[in-house]
Amino acid sequence: MSKLMRRAAAILLFLLAYSPDVIAADATDATDVNNDQESVIDVMGKVSNHDYFELPWTKVYLPRIFLSEGEWHVYKSTKSAVDSGEFEVSEAGLVRTNGAEITLDMSISSHLIYVWMGLLLTFIITFLVGNRYKSGVGRTTEPKGILQNMFEVLFVFIRDDIAKEFIPHNKYEKFVPYLFTIFMAITFMNLFGLLPWAAAATANLTVTATLAMITFVLTQVNASKDHWRHVFVFPGVPAWTRIILTPVEVLGLFTKPFSLAIRLFANMLSGKIMIVCILGLIFVFTDLFGAYVGVGSGVFWVLLTTALYFLKVLVALIQAYVFTLLSAVFIGMAAEEHHHEHDETSVAHAQNVQT
Amino acid sequence: MQYFLAGGGGLLSFETGFGIWVLISTLLFLWAMNKWLVPPIMKALKEREATIKTSLESAEKALARAEEVSRDNEKALKEAEIAAQKIRKQAIEEAELLRTERIEKSKAEADKLLTDARHVIEQEKKRALNELRNEVAQLAVEGASIILKSELDSAKNRELVNSYIEDLTKSN
Repeated sequence: MSKLMRRAAAILLFLLAYSPDVIAADATDATDVNNDQESVIDVMGKVSNHDYFELPWTKVYLPRIFLSEGEWHVYKSTKSAVDSGEFEVSEAGLVRTNGAEITLDMSISSHLIYVWMGLLLTFIITFLVGNRYKSGVGRTTEPKGILQNMFEVLFVFIRDDIAKEFIPHNKYEKFVPYLFTIFMAITFMNLFGLLPWAAAATANLTVTATLAMITFVLTQVNASKDHWRHVFVFPGVPAWTRIILTPVEVLGLFTKPFSLAIRLFANMLSGKIMIVCILGLIFVFTDLFGAYVGVGSGVFWVLLTTALYFLKVLVALIQAYVFTLLSAVFIGMAAEEHHHEHDETSVAHAQNVQT
Repeated sequence: MQYFLAGGGGLLSFETGFGIWVLISTLLFLWAMNKWLVPPIMKALKEREATIKTSLESAEKALARAEEVSRDNEKALKEAEIAAQKIRKQAIEEAELLRTERIEKSKAEADKLLTDARHVIEQEKKRALNELRNEVAQLAVEGASIILKSELDSAKNRELVNSYIEDLTKSN
């Protein structure tokens, strides 16, 4: 009976919010209740990495690829991996039946699909618009159409207001492709997180850490001599202070990409968790006080979720912008070449003039 | 609980295999962007910006030149006006001069004509007088000779007549 009520509540809610997310949550909820009485709604399940790609109407199971004992094991899904007898399901995921360690889990996961989708969308848009530029539209004439205009707004924004602004003028051009790519890809990944059944790949620490690592490597590879001098030598300070300053600076090299990764990850994850939790309150209330209270309060939760959605769209864009901007700032800071001699002489000159 | 544990497939764990996938795909994609996709766009944008910049500059230059030309024209116009006025003034003056000159000349001519005429008249008058005198003398002589022929010698009579004529001129 309560299951029926819950189902009815879910249908009502579907009409209210048009959010398949809720139905999916309901489904997990129902099975959870059958299996154990612990949770009404699976919040973490909505944000963690899965072995299936979820669509509003179905789940597509993804290939599993393992490196174990120096051998590659490739299966088309978790089920076929288990069926082969080589793997079995445990609490920490799949493990070998013979107890051997899995060296590397290269499975295609749901978040990876979203990463690819983000990159692919960026690729398609850039390709389409690039062809237009090649054919002369926008080269000699003004850009035409929504796509090209929107693209140009973003591209010129990245180029002029991020790359040119923060990276030294003789070097900024080669970083434009990178900055534009991460901006677009992160934006798309973030926006995918807005789909109720989908997940933001950027709400996965692995993705943000990998992106931050690329920024880190780019920063260090393109760092100028002055950058290293400021990390290790510190011109113009007493020698003994290096004992303190050098470790701090070396630490600072790593905290920059770390902050990049955590910022994006935490922002995207918190938004998703918040929405799932607030919508989940409907089911919590239904579970606690009955279907009428659950559905009645649902109006309020859905309105709150709508407001949060606006915020999330904003956050999705802002975080992509912040990641790109800070990447540019870090690269620019490292690539900058200081002119100490000039500075000193100019200061001395100024002092002379003053006296 | 396991979701929050690092390394246990939780939220804060770094999944190495997944990370490698992300890295490979991102790097491949970045390479493609760097190599093929972005450079033509950058080039096109740069070209367009250069075109716009040069056309703006040339337009500005043309504008400046046009302004200069119009300023020159104005200046030339003003100069021409001044010159024209000057010429007109000069012409008027010259015309005035010419007129007065001509008037004077014609006046002088007229005066000369008048004096010439007077002169001629005077001369004619003198000649006529002389002629008349001679004629009268002749007539008198002829008359006297006729008388003398008839009664006296003409020499005594002529003297007489001449003194008479002398008296006549004197009284005249």
